[in-house]
Amino acid sequence: MKLFSRYNRLLLIISFSGLLIIGFLFYRTLSYYLNRQIDDDLLEELMEVKEFMHDKNTLPAPNFFEDLIVTYHKVEKASGIKTFSDTIYYNPQKRHQESARYLKTDLTLNGQPYRVLVIASKAEREEQIQSICLIIIIPVTFLLIAILLVNRIMITRLWLPFRQLVKNIKTFNVNDEVPFEPVVTEVQEFSELNEAVVTMSLKVKSDYREIKLFTENASHEMMTPLAVINSKLDTMLQSNILGPEESETLADLYKATSRITKLNQSLLLLVKIDNNLLQEQEEINIKELIEDKLLFFYELISKRNIIINTNLSSSSVFTSRHLVEILVNNLFSNAIRHNYDGGLINVVLSSNDLSFSNTSHNLELDQQKIFERFYKDTTSEGAGLGLSILKQICNRRHFSLKYNYKDDLHIFQISFNSEHNN
Amino acid sequence: MVVQPLSKKEVFIILEKMRLLQTVFKFIGDISNMKVLIVEDEDGLRKSIDQYLTAEGNVCDCASTYEAASQKLAIYDYDCILLDLTLPDGEGLELLRNLKKRNKADGVLIISARNSIDQKIEGLSLGADDYLIKPFYLSELNARIMAIVRRRNFNGNDLIHFNEIEINLIAKEIKVKNLPVYFTRKEFDLILYFIANKNKVISRAAAAEHIWGDDADMADSFDFIYTHIKNIRKKLTDAGSKDYFNSVYGVGYKFIDA
Repeated sequence: MKLFSRYNRLLLIISFSGLLIIGFLFYRTLSYYLNRQIDDDLLEELMEVKEFMHDKNTLPAPNFFEDLIVTYHKVEKASGIKTFSDTIYYNPQKRHQESARYLKTDLTLNGQPYRVLVIASKAEREEQIQSICLIIIIPVTFLLIAILLVNRIMITRLWLPFRQLVKNIKTFNVNDEVPFEPVVTEVQEFSELNEAVVTMSLKVKSDYREIKLFTENASHEMMTPLAVINSKLDTMLQSNILGPEESETLADLYKATSRITKLNQSLLLLVKIDNNLLQEQEEINIKELIEDKLLFFYELISKRNIIINTNLSSSSVFTSRHLVEILVNNLFSNAIRHNYDGGLINVVLSSNDLSFSNTSHNLELDQQKIFERFYKDTTSEGAGLGLSILKQICNRRHFSLKYNYKDDLHIFQISFNSEHNN
Repeated sequence: MVVQPLSKKEVFIILEKMRLLQTVFKFIGDISNMKVLIVEDEDGLRKSIDQYLTAEGNVCDCASTYEAASQKLAIYDYDCILLDLTLPDGEGLELLRNLKKRNKADGVLIISARNSIDQKIEGLSLGADDYLIKPFYLSELNARIMAIVRRRNFNGNDLIHFNEIEINLIAKEIKVKNLPVYFTRKEFDLILYFIANKNKVISRAAAAEHIWGDDADMADSFDFIYTHIKNIRKKLTDAGSKDYFNSVYGVGYKFIDA
């Protein structure tokens, strides 16, 4: 929920419930005073009745009073209690029911107790109250709406630098050369936030650069010792005293050295792609490239009885040859490596999309994790960098890369022109 | 007439010159006897290269610093110079620049731990013949050196003879006893690789990397070397050639002229 709508909701709840409570209390107070006024009137009328009785020694006629109804009943015994209460009566003049107030008491005339009921209409007074309430509530409601509207506009405007800041943070990429774009604002809180983010972005950038540099240097430094190991292995291989056991050891050593070397090369390649070092661009015929690679990998595919289906339309992309070669290589080796004997590889190239799908013993892979560095299944012989190199190349070149699992096929799809679609 | 005994230094110079003459003459007869300067500061690596190349009758000079290398380059000519780019007291590329300034015809093979395209381009545009990235297999290094020397010394002659086998480098054709035998591109490269490293054991890893380059990271790519060698052997013997391939327990193969 947005901060603003949260605030608005609270404001609305408080102000409307406040309005309701205040309105109710106001109404009640007014009614109370009104009732007291009417009750006073009723008492006065009763005095008049008493006076009349005293003077004329008879009860006044029910229509003796204007706007007032007075009734008498004989009762057994006078109680002397005065009761006020609300009631509804029939107004003969207006010919409809009206709310009213009555006073009930007992009077004695010539020894005969009578119950006297004096009823006075409340209609007019109530109308007055309603008018008063409306006169007060309507402007207050308008005021409230106005406040809410002003709030809305003000808050949207006040939070503008914040929104801009968030937008800039979202577009910020440690990999880009573009520094974080600060937001100019006079609001202290936002400028503090801005400063904090700027400092953080600089720190993140320099840390990231340092890590990259470290990776690069570490990998480079490892290459020379690896070269020594490799050359010594080659020298040992030439000695004539090698028995089967030593040979096996040598073969294992070769394999392990080769793995470290490949790992190092992959790390260096990642750094290079990160650093945008492979910038040269040219028009590349993807179809030709794939056909070349198909020949290149031919033995690897046919030896494992993997069936390969290709559907290649001509397509060319203006980009770095080196990167696209790595891309296609990685797609091929991935599809071969994780396949089973007698499996299937489909390569489909349309003018804009390239998709590789292959069968595998693995079930659906985790979308989020497969492109992470060093993520690999336990049986994989590789370093777990192939797919992250793939991802990195696509990021750099603004290709979109998607992984899907459908009908037992692992599908990797690359769209070359995703930047134009966006 | 009094004959002054020669000083040690003079003896050394004369011996050196004789050796040079010897190698030049030998060289005309046999391509595999070359004079190579190894400029490399890593002792272990330098020794291994020296050992590997010398074993084939080549003459190797070693230099571990910029200073030593430039002194040697000032005095002698080499068929090929192996040049490490990062030396403790200078840049390898500077040596290359000086060499080219003096119009020396030595072949230059850069060996570097930096796989940087810029450096590669710079090195090659300065006149280096090839660029090999560490780590490398000695057999690969040897094959590259041979290729450089061959290019520089046998202009126009693109044929390599090995007993009854004749290899045409331009047409990528192989003839056995004057009859053409068809080999695939990869098989052709392998034969060339083995002949360049004859009498040496070549590991399967080295052979795989020679064929598939950096992409030889498939676990089973080693098996294909086996298949390829099997096919090559069959084609060669079917055409009437001797079987020169010797298998070395599971590690690799040796191409022996025996």
